[in-house]
Amino acid sequence: MAAVFRAVFGYCFLVLMVRVVGRRPGKQMTPFDFVLVFFLGGLTLTPMVGNDRSLINALTIVASIAVTHFVLVWLKQRFPAFGRVLDGTPLVLLEKGQWHQRTMDQLAVQDQDVMAAARDKGLERPDQIEYAILERNGEISIIQSSNKS
Amino acid sequence: MERSASSSHQTSPNGVPAGREFSGEIQTIMASTTINKPVEDSIAKVNDEIAVGSDPDFQRRWLRFEHGLWAVFTLIVVLDLLGFFGRGYMAKGTARTNDGTLDVQYDRVERYSTPSIMTVQFGPSAIRDGKVQLWVSEGVIKSLGAQRVVPQPASSVVGQGGILYTFPATSPPFSAGFQLEPTSPGMFEMAMRVPGGEEVRRKILVMP
Amino acid sequence: MHTIIHAIISYFFLLLTIRILTRRPGAQMTPFEFVLVFLIGGVAILATVGNDRSETNSVCAVIAVALMHRTIAGLKQRFPRISALVDGTPLVMLKDGEWQAETMRQMRIKDDDVMAAARTKGLKTLAEIKYAILERNGALSVIKKS
Repeated sequence: MAAVFRAVFGYCFLVLMVRVVGRRPGKQMTPFDFVLVFFLGGLTLTPMVGNDRSLINALTIVASIAVTHFVLVWLKQRFPAFGRVLDGTPLVLLEKGQWHQRTMDQLAVQDQDVMAAARDKGLERPDQIEYAILERNGEISIIQSSNKS
Repeated sequence: MERSASSSHQTSPNGVPAGREFSGEIQTIMASTTINKPVEDSIAKVNDEIAVGSDPDFQRRWLRFEHGLWAVFTLIVVLDLLGFFGRGYMAKGTARTNDGTLDVQYDRVERYSTPSIMTVQFGPSAIRDGKVQLWVSEGVIKSLGAQRVVPQPASSVVGQGGILYTFPATSPPFSAGFQLEPTSPGMFEMAMRVPGGEEVRRKILVMP
Repeated sequence: MHTIIHAIISYFFLLLTIRILTRRPGAQMTPFEFVLVFLIGGVAILATVGNDRSETNSVCAVIAVALMHRTIAGLKQRFPRISALVDGTPLVMLKDGEWQAETMRQMRIKDDDVMAAARTKGLKTLAEIKYAILERNGALSVIKKS
């Protein structure tokens, strides 16, 4: 059935778009991120459903998406290189007093975002940070300097 | 350094990504057949110090890929705005017969299950005995999914690989409209003519 | 053509609506705000797609929205003014033992919210807080007095 192809294509395309739109820095999805994800998801699902409002169509689509998802997850586990492509790798933003400005520009991350993560750990200034790492899910990990000032 | 023995994608307490997958279940039986791997230095380090697992080569290549992808995306959006994917300026097409019987306004590119209108204008030579007859090929009805014909034809006769419509008419100008809703993606041919007149035959692409 | 214009307008409209409507309490969206997001988002989606249920249409709309998002993210990075406009700025709620009452009133934050955030950091009283900052995503950061 065509619905299966649409569902698989739609899901894969959405995964690609979310990957390519970029990691939003920060631990939580802000309401705006949520709306964006919802908007993109909704736009993707409407052609899957099309004019067919039947229950069997809905079940087919959901099942197709679930299967595709599991296949991707399994591929990630089996082939780490694929995992890198799908999720990306952690990236260093701040290293011992030096901002990796080019990385930050490329990822559209501001130093404000890093400082917000630092404040969450109770730090006040950049010089208290030894490493700041942008994780694959957008969270920023802060490793404190061992000499507390 | 604390390491949690749980599986792959969780971060251990100090925020550094944990190691590669190995069995994390609590081993109640220390059998020689259990699968355990010693903690290896499997994550790439930065500064020989902190195990981040970033790969600058990969990142560079990925960024080049992303830039290429965005160029393609921008192109797609531009093409769509111009109408190359249907529903736009570039997709509009006109087909005229030389004997002036037919003038068809149609979309060269259609979209699957999306309503659109094809308009057929008749010239004065098409009107005979107060009525206009139009033969339309099967492709228009089936593949392009003609839903309605406006105005309602007086009669429709199936034959010759299509349908022959008869419309009562008085004087030109006169046009009929077909409401289309394509039933499947692909390349389809449509043909129509006034009996005794020249035929108009065109290919229409239906996007998925 | 209609879809892409619609997608772009809806994107900005949603951005504006969320920016204005959502409060910035201690981080969570209340059920009410969820409902709002679903409603507004759903309407925007249906209006954008219209009666065109083809894959082509959806792909173009998604790409258009993603392009907008990337552009805004890039602009935010290059121009701090735009970042302040779109995301807001971190706001100080408590400084050296003094409540910034005006800011708190505008953001509709109560001292209870700040204390709740402090408790998650293991603090017991307000007196132990040096700074309390309302972050752009709604989270409250608490910095202890050393």
